Amino acid sequence: MGAVWVYAEHHDGKLRKVTYELLGKGRELSQAKGAQLAAVVLGDDLTGIAEELASFADKVYVLESPLFEKYNCDAFIAGLLPLVQQEKPSVVMAGATSQARDLFPALAGKLETGIVVDCVGMELKDEGLVLRKPVYGGKVLVEVTIKGEPQLVLVRPRTFPPVESGGQRGEVVKQEVDVDPGGLRIEVVEIERLAGEKVDLTEADVIVCGGRGLKSPENFKLLEELADVLGGVVGATRAVVDAGWRPQSDQVGKSGKTVSPNLYFAIGLSGAIHHVMGMDTSKVVVAINRDPMAPIFQYADYGLVADLFQVVPLLTEELKKELGR
Amino acid sequence: MEIVVLVKRVPDSEAQVQVKPDGSGVNVEERYGMNFFDSLAVEEALRIKEKHGGKVTAISLGPSASVEVLRTAIAMGVDEAVLLEDEALQGGDEYAAARALAAAVKTMPHDLVLCGREAFDDSSGVVGPLVAQFLGIPSVTMVTKVEVMPEGGKVKVEREAEGGKEILSVSLPALLTAQKGLNEPRVPPVMGVVKAMKAEVKRLGLGDLGLKPEDVGKAGSKVEVLRYVEPPKRRAVKYIKGEPQEMVKELIELLKTEARAL
Amino acid sequence: MDFRLTEEQEFFRKTIAETVDRLIVPKAEEIDEKDEFPWDLWREFAKLGYMGLRYPEEYGGMGADKVTCMIFYEEITRGSVGFAQSVIMNMLMGTHFIYRFGTEEMKKRCLIPAIRGEKIGTICFTEDQSGSDLAATRTTAVRDGDYWIINGTKQWITNGPICDFATVVATTDPSLGLKGLNFFLVEKGTPGFSPGQVIKKMGCRGTISGELIFDNVRIPAENLLGEELGKGVKYLGEILDEIRVMTGAMALGIARAAYEEALEYARKRVAFGNPIGKYQLIRAKFADMATEMDAARLLIWRAAWMMDQGIPCTKEAIMAKMFATEVCQKVVDEATRIFGANGMAMEYAPQRHFRDARFLLYGGGTHEVLRDYLGRLIIGKL
Repeated sequence: MGAVWVYAEHHDGKLRKVTYELLGKGRELSQAKGAQLAAVVLGDDLTGIAEELASFADKVYVLESPLFEKYNCDAFIAGLLPLVQQEKPSVVMAGATSQARDLFPALAGKLETGIVVDCVGMELKDEGLVLRKPVYGGKVLVEVTIKGEPQLVLVRPRTFPPVESGGQRGEVVKQEVDVDPGGLRIEVVEIERLAGEKVDLTEADVIVCGGRGLKSPENFKLLEELADVLGGVVGATRAVVDAGWRPQSDQVGKSGKTVSPNLYFAIGLSGAIHHVMGMDTSKVVVAINRDPMAPIFQYADYGLVADLFQVVPLLTEELKKELGR
Repeated sequence: MEIVVLVKRVPDSEAQVQVKPDGSGVNVEERYGMNFFDSLAVEEALRIKEKHGGKVTAISLGPSASVEVLRTAIAMGVDEAVLLEDEALQGGDEYAAARALAAAVKTMPHDLVLCGREAFDDSSGVVGPLVAQFLGIPSVTMVTKVEVMPEGGKVKVEREAEGGKEILSVSLPALLTAQKGLNEPRVPPVMGVVKAMKAEVKRLGLGDLGLKPEDVGKAGSKVEVLRYVEPPKRRAVKYIKGEPQEMVKELIELLKTEARAL
Repeated sequence: MDFRLTEEQEFFRKTIAETVDRLIVPKAEEIDEKDEFPWDLWREFAKLGYMGLRYPEEYGGMGADKVTCMIFYEEITRGSVGFAQSVIMNMLMGTHFIYRFGTEEMKKRCLIPAIRGEKIGTICFTEDQSGSDLAATRTTAVRDGDYWIINGTKQWITNGPICDFATVVATTDPSLGLKGLNFFLVEKGTPGFSPGQVIKKMGCRGTISGELIFDNVRIPAENLLGEELGKGVKYLGEILDEIRVMTGAMALGIARAAYEEALEYARKRVAFGNPIGKYQLIRAKFADMATEMDAARLLIWRAAWMMDQGIPCTKEAIMAKMFATEVCQKVVDEATRIFGANGMAMEYAPQRHFRDARFLLYGGGTHEVLRDYLGRLIIGKL
């Protein structure tokens, strides 16, 4: 019985949040299938990470090499391919992150196997492993199965809860890495980090998103203060990104990022469909807009038809008291 | 430079999409156009050609109506267009589509292959990298900047990653998928429209691609659709009323107790 | 009978509609609010080359058929009436007589730059005391050796105050009435030719409408646009059908803009617990608007088709113009009503379409004159 694998993406020496979510779901799935749960990780100097992974999985495949220090599609495929071909997992799960979206479709091509990206639901049924994913920009969901093995699945971050507890004692297996650097057609020149230790929108618990109703870039300060109190991040609509008020990396929406936080504030934004497609799986949505006709109210749990310039500062103040910040 | 762009005809993002009562498919409002991310790819191809010389060919896999997006590409300035409308190639998943598209690209010289990061309808983003693998060339997804290196044979690209960007050097031939921010697609001038209206669009079928029926369409697919489902409907919005001070207090209360989001 | 557009026409329609949505629609509100000529948009749009649509390729044009032209007029007007009027003036009335009768030099100086958007052209019929009554034109052209001397004042000239050249209707013999009228080319910089007062309008804002003053303006003899004297009205007759059908196409553009806004609103606006689009009387409005707009479209395209076939279509052109215009008045009225109080809010578009639609009732011919004329054509001389 092929094992269930979790691709362990990590960043700055720590496992990414989505990895914990996959380990949780992976455990559930492997038990249902009666199979092993393994984690596979690539990088350089992975001892700490490997140990941690071993507390969640039955086996940890470690591919360590200076060639894996920075993500490189060619290098990572060269490392993963022989391992997958040899060990023959039945399912390989990864988070639908920038890295995995780059790596796994290419790996699927090499393996001549099927892949599903942006999975928001997964269930083992009679038909097999049934995956649910959004299509038509999220207007509709589709349930699919993948023919053959391994089945590659990229899961939308924050779809599954993070794994409860460790306590396993998985076997750590360091793999032979035999990659010819001369054969790599991609070279990493530089990785530019955004200034400041910012949680990425796709991983944030709380997002405070603003649109044109903020009237000017300076007014985004109000949203930043609210986000700070809540321990969240500020997002932006396409309109304000296009106007140059906020960077592209802040954009929530179809041509920006798809987010799924616990709490989403939609402030001074109308809720145009391309925006909504990027946030409608948020658990709780609060909309603040002085236009009662704004479409965003159709996608919100709580609606405040009010002047954001009055409400937002008050909300920040009250939350400061409430949360003791 | 010989540049090939993959373009797809997809429903407009504002088109109404409804699940059929039996869940076997969807009804889509008749509002179609070129996939937004593909238009970025077309624009980038044209800019590279304008700067470095060469030829741009656009390929589309789809029903005969897809000729429309190929005409739009020509109106923008693309030199040639190829349509894969053969019935045998249709109805498959992204994998089968990539097989057909890769076979088409193989029939022509290609230094650089460009396409959008994902198509609006599948919302997957796998066709580009799959095509690259079938062609045996490297792929980089979600690029926001492309620079052809003067020494030739390489491109320098920037791609979006969480928390920043990655700057990579890629050997040609290669495939790149376009992300928003790469460029601002041009509005086709009327002369382009005239040219597009008169243009001959080449058609390639299963035979021309050297593929077998089992490689493509439904038979060549890896993913099987079981059913379509409406997304879970959010419960109707609860309007919070009153003066700003009251609204804020009530909202916090609800977030604490009812929503348990605080 | 094939009622469909050809594949090429359909592709053209789609492309220009998208172009209008991208470039013009976002600026429409600002153009209306500021009531200034939108130079930036003008230059950006001119680069696309659409203003050459009806002229042959040798002048940088496309030689498009009339149906394609009507599609263009409809779409661009849907985007912004103020902007559309400037564009259409430059590509039709404002340049046609230069194209038809001008010397190659004049075409180089005026026609080609106008097609490229580098110069602004216009046509001058109306005066303070004469609109429909063209025979009452008082602007005179008097021959003086190798020159014509133009004297008079024109009013309500589209972009008159900012134009680079104008085709001017002047009489060479007032006693001959209509048979004394001729077209003359007057260019900016000619002494005595100056802009006058600007009219502040309730709609079609963004074009600069106003006075043009001709005070002993001396123009070379060759600036008479025509082969013979007194044939001005006859020459005008060559494009009168086209002007009327074009006006009909503009009417359809305005109607569509209002209609589409109202449709979106009806689907979203909630009253008594339902989107108002669920109520019968609202549905009835859409049923009627859609039917009448479709009928208008068929009249417009049929007349354009007749023009392309070389079939005389005076009656059909008048029908298209009148019907489309009158349907448009109804549609903009209903659209604002569907919006309820918001139909009056400057923040929403219907009020702008409502204000813009008015000009159609006299632009291209007043309906009072046209109706009478059409009736006379039908009944015949008694």
